[in-house]
Amino acid sequence: MRTFKTEPSTIVFNLIGYVLLTLLALFCITPFWLMVSGSFSDEMDIVSRGFQIIPDNFSWEAYKSVFQTPEQIYRAYGVTVGLTVVGSLLGLFLTSMAGFVLSRQEFKYRNSFSFFIYFTTLFSGGLIPWYILMVNQLHLKDSYLALLLPPLLSAWNIILMKNFMKSIPDSIVESAKIDGAGEFYIYWKLILPLSTPGLATIGLFLALSYWNDWFLANIFITSPEKYPLQFLLYKILASAAVLQTNAANYVSANVTPPTETLKMAVAVVATGPIVLLYPFVQRYFVKGLTIGAVKG
Amino acid sequence: MKRNRGTWLKLSMVLTLAVTLLAGCSGSNEGAQGNNANAGNGSTTANQQDPSKPDTSEKVELVWYLVGDAHKDQEQIVAEWNKMLEKDLNTTVKLNFTTWNDWATKYNLLLTSGEKVDMMFASQWADFYRLAKQGAFLDVKDMLPKYAPDTWNQIPKENWADVTIDGKILAIPSTYNEYAPDGWVYREDWRKELGTPEIKDLASIEAYLDAVKTKKNVTPINGIAFDNVFKLFRFSHDYQPYINEFSPIASTSYDNPRDIINYVETPEYEAWVKKMKDWQQKGYWTSNSLSSKQEAGDLIKTGQGAVYWRNPSAAGGFINEIKAKKLNMEIGYFPFTRFHNYAVPTLSITNGMAIPKNAANPERALMVLDKLRNDPKYFNLMTYGIEGRHWAKGKDEKHIVVPAPGVDLNEVPRYDIASWGWRFEPNMKKEDGGWEGLDKLNEEFKAISRPNTLSSITLDFEPVSAELAAVNQLVEQYGRPLMLGLVKDVDQKLKEYREKLKAAGIDKLKEYVKTEVDKQLTAKGVQ
Repeated sequence: MRTFKTEPSTIVFNLIGYVLLTLLALFCITPFWLMVSGSFSDEMDIVSRGFQIIPDNFSWEAYKSVFQTPEQIYRAYGVTVGLTVVGSLLGLFLTSMAGFVLSRQEFKYRNSFSFFIYFTTLFSGGLIPWYILMVNQLHLKDSYLALLLPPLLSAWNIILMKNFMKSIPDSIVESAKIDGAGEFYIYWKLILPLSTPGLATIGLFLALSYWNDWFLANIFITSPEKYPLQFLLYKILASAAVLQTNAANYVSANVTPPTETLKMAVAVVATGPIVLLYPFVQRYFVKGLTIGAVKG
Repeated sequence: MKRNRGTWLKLSMVLTLAVTLLAGCSGSNEGAQGNNANAGNGSTTANQQDPSKPDTSEKVELVWYLVGDAHKDQEQIVAEWNKMLEKDLNTTVKLNFTTWNDWATKYNLLLTSGEKVDMMFASQWADFYRLAKQGAFLDVKDMLPKYAPDTWNQIPKENWADVTIDGKILAIPSTYNEYAPDGWVYREDWRKELGTPEIKDLASIEAYLDAVKTKKNVTPINGIAFDNVFKLFRFSHDYQPYINEFSPIASTSYDNPRDIINYVETPEYEAWVKKMKDWQQKGYWTSNSLSSKQEAGDLIKTGQGAVYWRNPSAAGGFINEIKAKKLNMEIGYFPFTRFHNYAVPTLSITNGMAIPKNAANPERALMVLDKLRNDPKYFNLMTYGIEGRHWAKGKDEKHIVVPAPGVDLNEVPRYDIASWGWRFEPNMKKEDGGWEGLDKLNEEFKAISRPNTLSSITLDFEPVSAELAAVNQLVEQYGRPLMLGLVKDVDQKLKEYREKLKAAGIDKLKEYVKTEVDKQLTAKGVQ
């Protein structure tokens, strides 16, 4: 054990660093904390005094409204988790295969194909033709496939993957070919392990898009048992807002759900599990982003 | 050579794509036309018993759409309904809801995509007139007498006229005369305490606001003030807007629908915005009210506000909520109809049901609707829910209690789906313990009722869309702050506003609206 004598300048530097980082962390945590505290506040307190660091009157009201039908929330969680897992894995598999093919020199028409894929990012038929295709031709109304298929392959992700795989030296593929490996073997055993950073990034994109998607459910899903979480929460908010400003003929005492605190509670329900999960999966992302450099 | 091949490939791909797209489109068109051909003449099957009676030998599942959200117990209620329907009409209905998120987008998609829907909610506020003109709905004129005879006979001629476009009847309006004028709920107890005169005109309103601010030290119009103030302006001047509520192209009064002006140019408007500047400086609303997200009504509940705009039934809801929360307040209501002493009922197609173009079984849908409107058993189930759970019989046949005794509203929320489309006054029930003010107001409105001639006027802004967009932009940019007196120099801003409107082409817009409105009023036979 050797002890170092730390220079005063280093101490000062560390001190400043710690203070700055603490402030930064506070900046990031405060809004989140306000959200959590807001979700436990009384609606009328927020109306009259705004959001507080510590709720004036602790209240479960907002969570009661969200979990009015708990089985629906659990079900929606199940739908969203299932979609995210299946969609991300399948999407990664397809995206990386497409990227692999398009990045290969031997593939003669790779540029035409790339252009064709890229073209769809510039021009699209618009909402109504797409809707007609999905509903009248493919009959995907009210089906899980309507939630799974559209985000599965995005042109943007394919192009990203292709460019990433382009950076892997061709010599690897050539040497494998000489050793007698087939195309799929090369893709599965050589290229994929070398593409982990790209896969991690695109996997994250895919998972996020599945997790946060409410629009597809909004236009295609009609049965409540198929609602994904985000849409269900959004629906709870929207109907609360409508109840608040309801023009219907209510003439007897009315139980109206809270709105401000409800928004916060919904945000907590939507992000909570992710926040709890993140510390455990974080290392995979870091790993994924650092491993995979080609050794010279 | 190689490059050549690439371009060929691209070209051929683009071509294939184009061809498939075209084929797809024409395919769906053909389908639609085929449907229409069938829809017109009622499905005739061989084994019809009695040709005068509709044939229900074939079991049919209908798809219905309503706006808004389903109720927690919806499945149970629809199952109950389907049991009855199956017995009576050999039909079941799959009832879908748009939910309230983005409902307008969804509603439009359903109609423009030609999805097979047999019946859906239709309403003037859900763009009924625009969609009807685009041919989204089926003409039910010839089907009504046969498949919905009761409804056909009950609905008054003038209500059918509301939904008749180019001789086609495109919807079935609800039968419920409603008055939904805007007005203010306000703290009546404070008014009494402060001793200001009863609210009946602008002067008494001003006196009240002033007393609340100076003696109570409460911002009277707290939170989102714009709607509250704008409605006061519009109704006290009796302007009848034609483009949208906030647009300055309006006729000068209900009696002169053809006298269309741009009211920003008038001395009345100038006087008003100066007055508003004065009100703002006196603190009748806050300086951040344009960016506020708080409903003025919520701030009344916390004792930090005094005024909130509502229509009569919503005012009733507000007053009952105050009662339910045991807040010790007396709330008064001032309908803006009292400024000019006339009230206009809502159009009959404020709520109704319509059959989309591509319905598979329009006849059966009409039969179900006829049953739903007229058979109290059906009507009660779908409008009020299950008896003994969502409601119970009240003091007489016309009254119900919500919820049923011994049921907790927190457990079983009020059954309040958007059942407005099949409303039929004789079957409707009132709730016990409602706000008694509502009936009184309706009496008052009935006494001064005038026909609603202007709501059904719909303008197609295609030829002036550029001017319209520019003007709407300016209304947001100048009109709002001017209305709330949130500008430093009113004269200068007003001058700027007027000049910019001119430059944006408001005169062209005004002329266009004038000719269109003239045309439509003449067609309706309005003087």
